[in-house]
Amino acid sequence: MSTLLDVRNLVTRFHTQDGVVKAVNGASFTVAKGETIAIVGESGCGKSVTSLSILRLIAQPQGKIVSGEALLDGTDLLKLSSEEMRKIRGARISMIFQEPMSSLNPVLTIGRQMTEQLELHRHMGQQEALAEAINLLKLVGIPQAERRVKDYPHHFSGGMRQRVMIAMAISCKPQLVIADEPTTAVDVTIQSQLLELIRGITDEMGMSLILITHNLGVVARYAQRVYVMYAGTVVEHGPALAVYHHPLHPYTSGLLASVPRLDEPRKGRLAPIEGQPPDMMCPPVGCPFQPRCAYALPKCLTDRPELQEMAPGHFTACWVAFSGETLWQKT
Amino acid sequence: MAENVVIEINNLAKYFPITSGLFFKKKVAEVKAVDGVSFAIHRGETLGLVGESGCGKTTVGKCVLQLYRATSGEVIFEGKNLCDLNENQLRPLRRKLQVVFQDPYDSLNPRFTAADIIGEPLQINSDIRGSDFDRRIAELLNIVGLAPYMADRYPHEFSGGQRQRLGVARALALQPEFIVCDEPLSALDVSIQAQIINLLDDLQDKFGIAYLFISHDLSVVRHMSDRVGVMYLGKMMELSERDEIYKSPLHPYTQALLSAVPIPDPAVEEKRKVIVLKGEVPSPINPPSGCVFHPRCPKAFDDCSKLIPQLKDAGSGHEVACLLYKTSWP
Amino acid sequence: MTDIQQSNPSEITEICETRPHRTLLNDAWIRLRRNRLAVAGAIIILIFALGAIFAPFITKYNFAKQDLDSIFLQPSSVHWLGTDELGRDVFARMLYGARTSLAVGIFTQLIVLLIGLPIGAFAGSKGGRVDNLLMRFVDIMYGFPDILLIILLSAVLRGTTFGNLGGGIFVIFLAIGLVAWVNVSRLVRGQILSLKQRDFVTAARAMGGKGTYITMRHLLPNSLGPIIVSITFGVPRAIFTEAALSYIGIGVKPPTPSWGAMIHDGYNVMFTAPHLVIVPAVAIALIMLAFTFLGDGLRDALDPRSRR
Repeated sequence: MSTLLDVRNLVTRFHTQDGVVKAVNGASFTVAKGETIAIVGESGCGKSVTSLSILRLIAQPQGKIVSGEALLDGTDLLKLSSEEMRKIRGARISMIFQEPMSSLNPVLTIGRQMTEQLELHRHMGQQEALAEAINLLKLVGIPQAERRVKDYPHHFSGGMRQRVMIAMAISCKPQLVIADEPTTAVDVTIQSQLLELIRGITDEMGMSLILITHNLGVVARYAQRVYVMYAGTVVEHGPALAVYHHPLHPYTSGLLASVPRLDEPRKGRLAPIEGQPPDMMCPPVGCPFQPRCAYALPKCLTDRPELQEMAPGHFTACWVAFSGETLWQKT
Repeated sequence: MAENVVIEINNLAKYFPITSGLFFKKKVAEVKAVDGVSFAIHRGETLGLVGESGCGKTTVGKCVLQLYRATSGEVIFEGKNLCDLNENQLRPLRRKLQVVFQDPYDSLNPRFTAADIIGEPLQINSDIRGSDFDRRIAELLNIVGLAPYMADRYPHEFSGGQRQRLGVARALALQPEFIVCDEPLSALDVSIQAQIINLLDDLQDKFGIAYLFISHDLSVVRHMSDRVGVMYLGKMMELSERDEIYKSPLHPYTQALLSAVPIPDPAVEEKRKVIVLKGEVPSPINPPSGCVFHPRCPKAFDDCSKLIPQLKDAGSGHEVACLLYKTSWP
Repeated sequence: MTDIQQSNPSEITEICETRPHRTLLNDAWIRLRRNRLAVAGAIIILIFALGAIFAPFITKYNFAKQDLDSIFLQPSSVHWLGTDELGRDVFARMLYGARTSLAVGIFTQLIVLLIGLPIGAFAGSKGGRVDNLLMRFVDIMYGFPDILLIILLSAVLRGTTFGNLGGGIFVIFLAIGLVAWVNVSRLVRGQILSLKQRDFVTAARAMGGKGTYITMRHLLPNSLGPIIVSITFGVPRAIFTEAALSYIGIGVKPPTPSWGAMIHDGYNVMFTAPHLVIVPAVAIALIMLAFTFLGDGLRDALDPRSRR
C-alpha cells in the first residue's frame, strides 16, 4: 500500500499565561491509502492537537507548530500558504469533530452548510450542489432528506447531527478523513451505528481514516494499525492485533489491564495505572511514562527512548522493551 | 420491608410539565422522564442502573435523594416514605444519603478550598469544629488517596481524577449508608477510572455503604454492581442479578446494548456480530404506544404496539418487561 | 539486541517550572496587570482621585472665588488653565469638579448595589412567582427613559429636607441610584439562575443546605465577577448623567463645582474662550474612558474561561 500521509517529528507548543505547554513533543505516524489507523491516548496526550496541527487549525498566536513535517502525497502541509491550505481542507483532508453542536453553524441550514462546501471545492452550481447534498444525506441514513436539508442543526438529535457531519466530511471526496472522538458524545447504540457507517463509507470510497479516540474497544474493532500516544509522543505503534495481544510498552499494557472486559470473567480488582498523566508544561525528563511505570530502570529517568522496531511493523519506545524483557506480558 | 434493605423504591414516577403562556402557565404536555420504576437495594450492595441518554436513570437518582420531588411513588428509607417528608424533616436524614456527581469540574465550588468542600457537610450538619474538624478533613483526604497538604488548594489546581476523589470524600464526610453515584466516571480518563472504581469498591468493603451506580458504561457497571437494572425511556426493561443479566440478557434492548459495546481485542472484534438498532431514541414527550421499545426492536410483533409489558420475574429472580415472556403479559 | 540510540540531551535538560499555586484572585490580578489599557485607566483614575482629594494643596485658588478683574484669561503660568467669565480659576474648578464626579460615580453605585443586589438575588433564588413579579417590575422601569425618571426623581427629592445638602448632590446620588439599580438586579438574577443549575449547588442541597445559606455561600460569591464589572461600567454612566443634568441646569447647584455646569457656563463663549468648554469636556471624556478601560480589563481578568 502506498503512503498517503507521512507525519514526522511533529512538535506543537502553546504559550499560556502560566508557561509553555508542550502539547505535541515529537509525534510521527503514517497512513497508507485506504487504510484505517487509530491514535489512542487519554486527555492531554496530544492526539487532538496532532490532527489540528496537520490541518493547521491551531489557534495562533498562542499555539505554534514548532517543527516537523506532514507530507500529504509528498507535499509538506506545514509549509503551505494559508490559501493553499484552504484548498486542502475539506477537499483532500476533512475532519469529523466530537461535539457536533459546536461544529455546525446554528444559524445556517444544514443544506446551506453542505452546499457551501460543494460550491467551493467541487465548483458545483446551486441546484447541482443541493441535489448532491440531498444524496449525501440519504447516504448517511437521514430519513426524508429532501425535507431535512432545509432544517437547522438544532432540529436534529445528537446522532443525526453526527451523521450530517459525516456527510459533510465526505462530500468533497477527500483522500483522508480524520475523526476526532466522533462518538464520545453519543450513546453506545448510536456509536455503533455511526462507526459502522463511517467504516462502510470509507471502505467503499477508498478513503483513509484516522480514528482518534480513547476507547480501546472502538480501536480494536475498526483500526488496522494503532498508535498509542502518551505525553505528546507516540510510545508504541503497530498492527492492532500485535499491539493488543503483545503490547511492547507498559503504558499500553497498563491501559489494557485497567479496562474491564465484557467477554472475560469479572476481575476481583482492576489494575489501574497509578499516578496522573503528566502536566505538559513540565513533562518528565527522560521517558515521559517513567513516573508511573512499575518497571522503570535508572536509564528511564534520564534518557528519552526513541521508537524502535521490535517485530515486523511493531514499534515501541521503551528501554525495558529494548532489552528484551517484556515483564508486563502475561505469556 | 425485607431485613437487609437499605432503601426501597416503589413505582417511582417523575413527569416534567411543559408549560406555555405568559403569566398563567398552562400545562400543554408532559415529559415522562421516569414512568413507574421499582427496585430495592440491600445493605452494602451495589445496584447498577444502565441506559442511554433520556432513559431517566439520572432522574431516578435525583428523585431518590429528593433533589427532584417525585410526581408519584414511594422512596422508603428507615421506615419512612421520603416523598412525604418536607425539607425540614428530610434534613436529618440527608446525612445518610449522599451523592457523587458526574462532572468533577462542575461539582466543586471553584471558590472553595478542598477543606471547605469536604468539610461543608460537617459544617452544615454537625458541630465538629476546630482541630477535630481539621483532623476529620485530613482523615477523609487520606481515605480517598489525597495528600493532606492539598487541603488548602483550589479545585482548578487538581486534576479531574483528583477532583472526583474530592467529591467522593465529600460524600463520605457524614458516614452515609447510601450513596448515589451519578455517572462518576464518565468525565475521567480510562486509566483514572480504574483508580476511582477501586476506591469506590474499597470504601464499600470498608464501610458497608450501598450504592446506586448510574452509568451508561456497561463494562464498568458489570464490574461494580451486584444487581443491574436496564432502563429505556423512563421504564425498567430488565432487572436482575449481575452475572445473570450479562450472560443471558432476556430483553432485546439489553441484548442490543451489550452487543454495541466493542471489546478491546481485535481478534474478538473481527468475529463478533453487532446488533445495530435502527432509528433513534424517541422523545419522552411522545413515547411510543404499548412497549416503548417496539419501534426499534428487532423482535417486535403486533401486540408490542398495543400492550404494555409488565416487569415481572421470568424465573429465578430475573425480572424482565417484554412480551416475548409470558410473565410480562398484563 | 538492537542498538539503543541516544536521545537528544539538550531537549530533556530544560528546567521547567511546574504550575504555581494560585488562587483565583491571584490569577485575575495577574491578568489585569498585563492589560495595558486597564492599567492606564487605573492610573488616570488614580490621578484624578488624588487631584480631587489633595486639591487644596495643589492649587491655591478656590473654585468659587471670583475675580472680576481677571475674566476670560487664557492659560498662563498664573492661571494654569485660564479663568472663566467670573474670573474663577479653571484648573481649580476642574480639580474640585473631580470631587463631584467621583463622588457621584462611587455613591450612586453603592446605592445600586444596596438595592439591586438583594433584589436580584432574591428573585433569582426564589424563582417562580416572586421572580416573575419582581422582573416585570424591573421591565416596567426599563420601559421609561432613565434620564426622564432621574429628572422626575430629583425634582421630587429636592423638595425634601436633605434636598439642599451639598448643593443637591445627595439628591443626584439617590435619583441616579434609584433608577440604575435595575441593571444590576437583572444581572445578579441571571447569574444566580445559571449557577443554581450547577452541580456544586445541587451538592449543597443534597447535604441539607438551606436556601439562604446556599445563596450567601455559593451563589453570590460566584456572581461577583460580572457584578464588579457592571459597577465599574456604571461609574462613567453616572458621571455622564450628572454632567448632563448639571449642563441643563438641574444638577448640582453652584457653588458646588461640576464639570457639566462648567460646560453650560462656557457654552456661550465657546469660540472666544474655548478652553472653558474644552477643559471640562476632556476631563469628562478622560475619566469615562479610564473607567471603561478598567471595566474591560476587569471583565477579561475575572472571566475564568479566558485563562489562556
